[in-house]
This record gives sequence, structure tokens and C-alpha cells, in this order.
Amino acid sequence: MASINILIVDDSITIRRIIKNALKTVGFPDTIEASNGKEALQKLTTDNIDFVITDWNMPEMNGLDFIKEVRANPVYSNIPILMITTRGTEHDVIEALQAKVNSYIVKPFTPQELKEKIEGILKTVQVNTQ
Amino acid sequence: MNQQELDGILRKATELKVFCEYGQRTIPVLDDIAAFVNEISPAIEDLKAVVDMAMTNIPKASDQLGRVTQATEQASTNILNVLDRMVATLDDVISAVAMGMVSSDLGAAQKKLATVIKSLLEKMGNDDDIIKLSEHWEAYLKTMRMSSHANNLEKLLKALQADCTEIMMALQVQDITQQHIGTAMGAIETVAEGLSKLTSSVFDISGKEEISIILPFHKNDKVVAEEDRKKMVELLLQKAKSGQL
Repeated sequence: MASINILIVDDSITIRRIIKNALKTVGFPDTIEASNGKEALQKLTTDNIDFVITDWNMPEMNGLDFIKEVRANPVYSNIPILMITTRGTEHDVIEALQAKVNSYIVKPFTPQELKEKIEGILKTVQVNTQ
Repeated sequence: MNQQELDGILRKATELKVFCEYGQRTIPVLDDIAAFVNEISPAIEDLKAVVDMAMTNIPKASDQLGRVTQATEQASTNILNVLDRMVATLDDVISAVAMGMVSSDLGAAQKKLATVIKSLLEKMGNDDDIIKLSEHWEAYLKTMRMSSHANNLEKLLKALQADCTEIMMALQVQDITQQHIGTAMGAIETVAEGLSKLTSSVFDISGKEEISIILPFHKNDKVVAEEDRKKMVELLLQKAKSGQL
């Protein structure tokens, strides 16, 4: 699989490092970081991002609002987004799916789980764009 | 006084009678209400004291939990730093071990050499140089036997690297705990605030505020096991994929 640039959005530096390391382990070494939705929106304009991994609970702009902003912007509306969060109720998942997140992981996760989700999303996106 | 005036007075007297009769019936009820208010007043005062105490202590508890989470985050960062260094060192060691590994060709040459030395020793066992050669050969073999573990060593180092990744992943617990504590503290603060408004409105009718408690939990939220939660998420993702949501 070709190398992709992944934007990791999480206010916790620990989680950003964990995700970054997990991604490196499973063959996705190119990452960019942002600590909230607002910063992530800026990164989308300045960096070449292929994929987004975002948390939900964050200051300034939370993950859900960030996803809604991305989906409302025709420039980035098709970018694949994976949400990794501690929020794991049925209500939460439905809300995220309604905001058009591509997939969802409830923490804690494993590198393998992360790999499968990313590859699954990329496959679906490729099929849909063909 | 004419008849009309007399009727008016009689009507008023009747009304007064009804009012008095009603008063007679309501006085015991009013007495009961007064007794009830007297009874609950100390309880409300107690409740107010408890709420006041809660309003002082909850921010303190919140602050302390904040410091705990900060400390755990710092500890996680330190552990991650060490793990990063360990993984980098292991990368270097694995490369070095891989480069120093004995090739199978070298193993075959070694066997041939061993046969020759053995034969020389049998034929010229008294020669000093042959004895020295045999001793050096033994020492060399010992070194080679140690390096033959290199293959296994690489596997062990890789396993160690995988363990480092596992420790790293386990540090997610810090963030999970922090977020759950944050949600629970938010709920406690909201309830305390609501109670405070409730008790103050009992004593101060003029400053009555509308009490609205919005907790960060959905009415259908349930605490479910990790495995079940993951299944539920996958099921919902499948439903979304097939357009059933």
C-alpha cells in the first residue's frame, strides 16, 4: 500500500504518541499532529493530508464539530476520517456516523485493529471513487 | 333600612358565615402546613449546609483529581520517552546482530577445518604448534557457539520490541481514566449546582432561578464490557454501510 500522510487529532500528547507509534509499527510512518479540531482544520489547509484520525472530546473544537466542518467544506469533504474515542455508547456511535465519520474505534485499541480499520476505509474509498 | 338593604346585609352575612365555616375547616390544614414547615426547616437548613460544603469541596476534589491526571500524564510521557529510546536501541542491536550472524557457508567451512585439525592432532599430536593450533581452535569454536545463538537473539530482540509496543499501547489507560474522571466530575458538579439553586430558591423566593440539570449521559447509556462495546460498534458500522441507520 502506498505511503499516506495521516493527521492525528487529539488533545492528549500521550495518545498522539501512542497512535503515532502504533501507525509506525503497522506501516504508516508519515504523520502530522494537531491538538484540537481548530488546529486540525488549519493543518488541512497547510499540509497535504490523506487521512484523518480524530478524538471526540477536545477543547476549542471537539472531534464531532471538526468532522462536521470538514464534511461541509467541498475541498476536504471526501477525506477519510477515523474516530478513536473513549465514548462508546450506542448514542455516541450513531451521532458520529450521522456526522459522516468513516469508521469508529472505542479506546483501548491495538495496532492491528488500527491497521485493519485504515485499510478497510481506504479500500472502501477507492471502490467509491472508481 | 329598606328591604333591598336588608337583603344585601343578609347576603353579606351568609357569605361571612360560609367564609367562617371554610376558615374553620382550613385552619387545621394551615396548622398542619405550618407544623410541616417547622419540621422540614431544620432539614432544609441541614441540606443547605451539606450543599454549601459540597460546593466548597467539589471544586477542591476536582482540582485534586486534575492534579492526579496531570501526574499520570507526566508519568506516561516519561514511560513513552524511555520506551522510544528502548525501541531505537533495539533497532540498532537487531541490525548489528543481523550483520554479525554466521552464514551457512561459514558453517560448512568450519566443519571442514575442524576435520583437518582433528586429523593433524591425531597424526602430529606432540608438535607444539599443532597443540597451540588445537587450543586456539577450541577457543574459536567456543566463540562461534556463542554467536550461533545470534539467530535466536534476533527473534528475542524483536519479541522485546513487540513487548515495548504493548506497554506503549497499555498507556492508553491514562487517557481513558482521565476522560471518565472528567465526565463523572462534570456530572457531580452539575448536580451540586442544581442542588445549590434548589436550596437557595427555597429560602429566597424573589431570586428564584429556573433549575435545569443536564448531565453528560444519555438516558439509554449503559456500562457494557469492552468486547460487547466493540461488537455493538461494528454492528452499527455495518448498518450505516448498508444504509440502515
